Amino acid sequence: MTSFREYRETVEAGGAVDREMPALPSDAIVFQGDRAGFVSRAVAAGIDVTLVFLTVLGTIAVLWMLSFVVNPTAPGSTVSSTENRLPGLAIMIIYGYALNWAYWTIGWATTGRTIGNLVMGLRVVNRKGQHPNWAGAALRSAFCAFFPFGLLWVIVSRSNRSVQDVVLRTSVVYDWVVGIPGMGRRAGIIKDQDAAAT
Amino acid sequence: MSVDGPDGREVVLVTRPSTAGPPHPIDTLRDVFASSVGAAAYTATTLVSLVEQTVTYAVTTSVNAALDRLVPVIADAIIERIDLTDVVIEQVDLHRIVTSALDSLDLTSIVLDRVDINAIVAEADIDAVIDRVPIVPLAGYVIDEIDLPQIIRDSTSGIAGEAMDTLRKQGVGADQLVSRLADRALLRRRARKVDAPGEPESLKARMAADLGGSDEVGDQP
Repeated sequence: MTSFREYRETVEAGGAVDREMPALPSDAIVFQGDRAGFVSRAVAAGIDVTLVFLTVLGTIAVLWMLSFVVNPTAPGSTVSSTENRLPGLAIMIIYGYALNWAYWTIGWATTGRTIGNLVMGLRVVNRKGQHPNWAGAALRSAFCAFFPFGLLWVIVSRSNRSVQDVVLRTSVVYDWVVGIPGMGRRAGIIKDQDAAAT
Repeated sequence: MSVDGPDGREVVLVTRPSTAGPPHPIDTLRDVFASSVGAAAYTATTLVSLVEQTVTYAVTTSVNAALDRLVPVIADAIIERIDLTDVVIEQVDLHRIVTSALDSLDLTSIVLDRVDINAIVAEADIDAVIDRVPIVPLAGYVIDEIDLPQIIRDSTSGIAGEAMDTLRKQGVGADQLVSRLADRALLRRRARKVDAPGEPESLKARMAADLGGSDEVGDQP
C-alpha cells in the first residue's frame, strides 16, 4: 500500500496519475488520445446522420398527423391529397441540414461529442486539445454537413486528418472515457505534459 | 609453724606484724602538689572549652544576624546595578544547560502526563489546518487506493457496455486496417503520426516524452 506521503512525492515529482486509464479495457489504453481513423469516424457520422434522418422523418410524421387536426377531411372526400399535407422535398432537406448542423454544433461545442462520437468513443478537440468553442464548432459542423467527402482525406492523411481538420486545425481522437476535458489538469492531478504540444 | 624440709629437717616459719611508721612529710607534700596541679589543669581546660563555645555561639549568632540584614540589601543593590539576563546570556552556556536538561528529561512522557492535549486541540484552529491539507491530492490518493474506477467499471459495465467496447474495438481495428492498406498503396514506410494534443494523453506521446524524444506530438498544418 502506498502511503499518502509517497503518493504526493510521486505526483510532485511529475509522475502522471491518470485514474481514467484503469476504467478502460487494458488493450484500449494504448490508443487513447490518438487521432481516429476513417472507419470509426464514418460510423460515428453515419449514426449521427441516421439519427437526424429519423428525427426529420419523425417531424414529418408529426406534421402530417397535425395536418389532419388543422384540416380534417371528411370520409370519401376527393380533396385530400398527401402532397398537400407534407412539406416539399427542398424544405425537408434544408430542415435536415439545419438540424444536423445544429446537432453537431451543440455536441462539439459542449462536450466535443455527439451521440455517434459517444458510441464510437471519439471526441473532437481543437488545436489546444480542448473541445471547440461555439464558433469553431458551428464552422466545422457546417463544413462537415456541406462537404462530407472531406472525411475521405482521413484515409490518405499521414495524421488521420480530414479536410475539415486540416482547415480548422481540429482533431478527432479516441477517448473512450466520458469526462470533462481538462478537469484533471485544472485540479492539478495530471501533469501538464502537452503544453509544448500546443 | 613447722614443715618438713627436703633433707628431712624441720623448718620453722615465724610470722610477725608489720612495723610501718607515719608517712614521710616529703611524700605527703609531693602527693598534695600533684593533686593540686591535676585539679588546676582540669579546671583550666574546662574553662577554656566553655569560653570557646560561648564565644563561638555569640559570634555566629551576631554574624548571622548581620548577614541576614546585610546580604539582601547588598544583593538587591548588586542586582539593580547589573543586567542579570545579559550576564547569563554572555557568561552561561545556555545551549549546554538546556541540552543537558532535555537529555535528562523524558519530554514526551511529561507532556503526556501533564498536558491536556484534548484541550489544546479543542482550542486549535482546525480550519487553518484543513486549509493547508492538500484536499485534491488526498482525494486522488483515496480514489487510487480503493481503485474507484475499477469498482465503478465492475458495477456498471453490463452487456451494453461490453457490446459498445466491442464495437469500438472493431472500429479501431478497421481504422488501422484501412490506414495500413492506404499507406501500402501510397508506398509509405513510416507510421502515421496520430498523437493529438489534450487529454487523454496519448500513450505514445507519453513514452516519447519519458524517453526525452523530440518526436512531433501534433501534426498541425
